[in-house]
Amino acid sequence: MTDIPAPSPGAPKEVLADLGELSRRVRAAQRGTWFPLLLFGLLTLGAVLANRLTFSVRTITSCPDLKGTATECTLVRQGAPGYWVVGLTLAYAATAFFYVRRSRSRGVGTPVRPYVVTGLVLVAVLGATTLWTIRNGFPQPGDRIDFWGLHLDPGSGPTQLLERFTGSALTVGIPLLVLSWVERNRALLLFTLAYLALELAPISTGWAGVATTSPWSSLPRLALPALFLLLGALGFTLAQQPRGRTA
Amino acid sequence: MTAEQSDQPDQHPVNALDDVVHQRVRLGILTVAHQARRVEFGFLRTALDLTAGNLSQHLSVLEKAGLVHIEKGYEGKRPRTWLTLTPAGDRALREEVAQLKRLIQQIEQGGSDAQA
Repeated sequence: MTDIPAPSPGAPKEVLADLGELSRRVRAAQRGTWFPLLLFGLLTLGAVLANRLTFSVRTITSCPDLKGTATECTLVRQGAPGYWVVGLTLAYAATAFFYVRRSRSRGVGTPVRPYVVTGLVLVAVLGATTLWTIRNGFPQPGDRIDFWGLHLDPGSGPTQLLERFTGSALTVGIPLLVLSWVERNRALLLFTLAYLALELAPISTGWAGVATTSPWSSLPRLALPALFLLLGALGFTLAQQPRGRTA
Repeated sequence: MTAEQSDQPDQHPVNALDDVVHQRVRLGILTVAHQARRVEFGFLRTALDLTAGNLSQHLSVLEKAGLVHIEKGYEGKRPRTWLTLTPAGDRALREEVAQLKRLIQQIEQGGSDAQA
């Protein structure tokens, strides 16, 4: 019987550590997180302009209040219904194109498909919701919304949370969570959770001193997440810069 | 290494290591291909710090063993070689890493067992 030579205790550990380092370098070469963050930041900023251009105020004399009595009220309308649907679809298509081109130039495959597919599916959901709103009108306070058997009051806290969730949190935040998973990017996961908190928190915009009847009323609500996304894009650009080789 | 060998419970992990896979450069190639899903020859050469000839030799060994699939084509006018891991390659890599972990565990649990 031949003796098995005693293996060096450090050798297999060293091999596994080398493999871990190789995996880390491949993941770093695959990441392009800054690009979708930049697009979403610009898209959110663009929404301020879209809201400004589509802003209109109407005074309605026969507006029913919560008790059903006719009273006078001001109706503020802003936002092009197709802006987010078209903008997000283009953003996901551009992101897919960016990652594929980057993959070819760097020579490593891209894990971006689940992210883009999730994004496009959720944009389709948003599109369906937008279409429903166009056909049925936007619910006013006091109206009841029947949503899959749930009777929701537009003025209630849970409905407002659902409304905030079905905006950018759903169509930008959830796909970013998927991206952080496929890229195994812990920094992006933390960033996305902070972004979701920002989108879902009922932050008052009263501090900005912009009245709800102002054409710029959406500025504080949109500028905060836009700035956050743009700063994220800058941060990830700096963090994902290829480092110089050490001698 | 064969599947029967790795299934033997008393086998020392050193004997369960596959010579084709265990070679350090080839293990590196499989790791990069596993992580990247699809990887180009130039990226592999840089990541593993190898010459083109040396890398080609290792790729031939892996291709003959059915562990990788090599695809040659053009990107514009530039010739490109892309590599993907086959299901057998994926299994072989997982098995190798598992055996290395077993080996570390065995060494740490008692050096005397490993030397017996």
